[in-house]
Amino acid sequence: MAAVGEAPTLFLRKATGLVKGWSKFDAFLYSFMSVNFVTLGLFFSLAVIGYVPEGQVLPALVISGLFISCIVVTYAGLISIMPRAGGDYVWQSRVFGGGLAFVLSVTGWWFILWYWTPIYASILNVEVLQPLAAFLGMDGLLTFLGKDIGLFTICVVTALLAGYLVSLGMEGYARIQKVCFYIGLVALAVVFLVMLFGSKAGFESAFNQEAGNLFGTTGNAYRDTITFAGGGAALPADIGLTPFFGKSMLIIPFLCFWILWPNWGSTLYGEVRGASDFKRVMSGMMWGLWVTIAIAAVFLVLSSKFFGWDFFNAGNVNFINYFYGYTDSPGPTPVWTYPPLLVGMFFHNDLIGALLVLAFGAWFLGWAGTLFLSSTRVIFAAAFDRILPEKVADVSERRHVPVWALILMLVPSIIVSAFYAFTTVMKTWIIDAVLVIAVTFFGTAIAAMLLPWRKKRLYEASAMARYKVAGIPLITVTGALSALFLGYNLYKWLWPPYNSPDGNLYAVNVPDSLWFMVSMYVLALVIYVVAKFVRKSQGIDLSAIHKEIPVE
Amino acid sequence: MKIFFVTDLHGSEICWKKFLNAGSFYGADVVILGGDVTGKAMVPIVQRANGTWEASLQDHRDTLESEDAIVEFEKRVMNRGYYPIRVSDQEYVAMQEDEVLVDKRFKEVMLDGTERWIAMAEEKLANTGIRVIACPANDDMFEIDDLLSGARVVETGDEDHPIQLGDFTMVSMGWTNPTPWHTFREEEEPELAVRIDRALEGATDPETTIFNFHAPPYGSKLDNAPALNPDLTYVSGGQAIRPVGSTSVHESIKRFQPLLSLHGHIHESKGATRIGKTLALNPGSSYEEGILQAAVVNIDEKKRKVKNYQLVNG
Repeated sequence: MAAVGEAPTLFLRKATGLVKGWSKFDAFLYSFMSVNFVTLGLFFSLAVIGYVPEGQVLPALVISGLFISCIVVTYAGLISIMPRAGGDYVWQSRVFGGGLAFVLSVTGWWFILWYWTPIYASILNVEVLQPLAAFLGMDGLLTFLGKDIGLFTICVVTALLAGYLVSLGMEGYARIQKVCFYIGLVALAVVFLVMLFGSKAGFESAFNQEAGNLFGTTGNAYRDTITFAGGGAALPADIGLTPFFGKSMLIIPFLCFWILWPNWGSTLYGEVRGASDFKRVMSGMMWGLWVTIAIAAVFLVLSSKFFGWDFFNAGNVNFINYFYGYTDSPGPTPVWTYPPLLVGMFFHNDLIGALLVLAFGAWFLGWAGTLFLSSTRVIFAAAFDRILPEKVADVSERRHVPVWALILMLVPSIIVSAFYAFTTVMKTWIIDAVLVIAVTFFGTAIAAMLLPWRKKRLYEASAMARYKVAGIPLITVTGALSALFLGYNLYKWLWPPYNSPDGNLYAVNVPDSLWFMVSMYVLALVIYVVAKFVRKSQGIDLSAIHKEIPVE
Repeated sequence: MKIFFVTDLHGSEICWKKFLNAGSFYGADVVILGGDVTGKAMVPIVQRANGTWEASLQDHRDTLESEDAIVEFEKRVMNRGYYPIRVSDQEYVAMQEDEVLVDKRFKEVMLDGTERWIAMAEEKLANTGIRVIACPANDDMFEIDDLLSGARVVETGDEDHPIQLGDFTMVSMGWTNPTPWHTFREEEEPELAVRIDRALEGATDPETTIFNFHAPPYGSKLDNAPALNPDLTYVSGGQAIRPVGSTSVHESIKRFQPLLSLHGHIHESKGATRIGKTLALNPGSSYEEGILQAAVVNIDEKKRKVKNYQLVNG
């Protein structure tokens, strides 16, 4: 019963769609698995910090987290202003019109995912399959997986797995994801406990012994790993907080590969009744981001204590140099010194090591299903807007599988995977995978900034209109800070030119990589222009899709 | 013939106004509201003992100091599809305790709202040559049927009353398969199939028949909704999607193969699909934001074909 004086509340009747809202935990889980510490963080972002020896990763993490929090607020705001709209494409098209929105969205949510396929496959290969093969003594398989054809095979398997998970539907996959979350956390806790209570000397001894058993190394493999990476002088000094800015800022563009995605899957269903819905969505994403950052910080400190900071970075540098074709040899160990593999060695028991690696595979499985899901949504949205042929939104009646959308993902993915696996140069464009999506996010951040003026009525009807900073709409402030952060990263990725000193740190601004990205934008533009002409000849005006009908 | 089709306005006044302007904006001959005309919530504006008025919208509490402020607030409420009601402190508390009072008030405001909308339509579209059709659906109480059928400019139809659109016959049905909310017009699939058969008794030629069935066909991707737990919270944070349409509707489309099949009900499942030769559309709904999602369908009357269609966000 309401007491006199309490804030009046709505009277609701029984009507379709009146749900009780979202579980904060579910929103957290989806976000947490998207900024995946193990797959994205360990595989790349935390593996390349050795390339900025004078920088510090912890300050870079905190600074990135603060700015990405602005992206979270911006996206949560857009969700509350235009729920169930379908994400970046619709938000941008409302502010910029259909053409620019289409180009920015299909490149970021569809085309670049072709290139993500071999990246996913590489992660599966080096984080799950190779360590498993090593622990299980399957030398033939280990050798095969290390070859180009092995990687290509895993690419095909990954693409098919992602396609299968799409056909399974998000409901089935969400269950798998939840189980993976718990298995992954238990495995992580085991690793953290070993790293906390184990000694560095104990690890060094275990590594030397087990590297010999598993890979046939001789002598002091621990020391050899550091030497192979150029020795202590070429590697970062111990972990710390200084410089907080300066060179540490150069690490941020690497971190984006991993922690830029708490807003992944930022589509909300159901009716947004007020500010509490905005806060719930925002806090889910925010927790996903900051819990991940906290886990990473703990992991890095423990790595320094348990592995030794120079060894941790040396192992990573050796792997990166070999994997991306900068050296001809992987160093003392033929596989990457993947932290769960290293901790597994500490047990001196291959079965425990294999089980630990397998349990860490849950981080991959709980994340891999998202590879094609967003793309199929964008393809459908473009077909409903008549930019793509109606056929591409077809769903098989018997199996409920979006056949054409999957073909549009699978076929190009496998072609790109072939180039990735059989050439070395394409692997080095890994930052392309984040840059193209960052451009899409940049467009959305600008759209969010302008939305209170460009779509005044829409904005004022939302709960977001109540939130202001010094009289300026909150979404404009966070949109501007998001654009600033994304702009900074885009600038660092692209400038200075690749052939100038320090110009190729991110390996993204070399001509081939730039042409690869440009070709995606050209393809998107061509599709839009062709669609516009074809539809015009059919009596359909694409620009009418987002025109607002007058009210009075 | 150009059809402008929307659905699930749920009392949003701004969407209704846009709907009435859509005929001239898109050059449509007929504008159709497929179902779910009325709103789902009442927002009390409570007069406190000291004479001030208080209300809460979107979790924000407002003290309304003047009549102008109250009117402005009421406008915001109506644009979101809710009904503003002015009540005293005591009335508000009494309604909190008594569902019968709430139901009674709901009925009053829904009927008042529908009458007001009909009057707006008559003012706007009388003698323009643009036909306006509004049909009730599962979320609409039965009492609005009489109001709609008694209107002069606004036409309405249901399973017993098909509407003639030139040479074409539009068969309407606002009943749906069961929902977790047990709304006004729901029934189990076998009964729904019988109702559909009855509605189709007068329709003989598939090429000149248009379905306006509120429930979308099952498994057609026009019926994907977030899965719900028994306590009506979202499964997996709303990421788990499930088809919730009607198998009887799907079966009837497959069997009868109308030229066009128009649907709504599932707001988040905007889309287009083909079931056999039939083009089936669900424009979706974003009524709370005041966005009028719609399908603009151009029909070639001579060839009896859908010339083109477009899903728009007006």
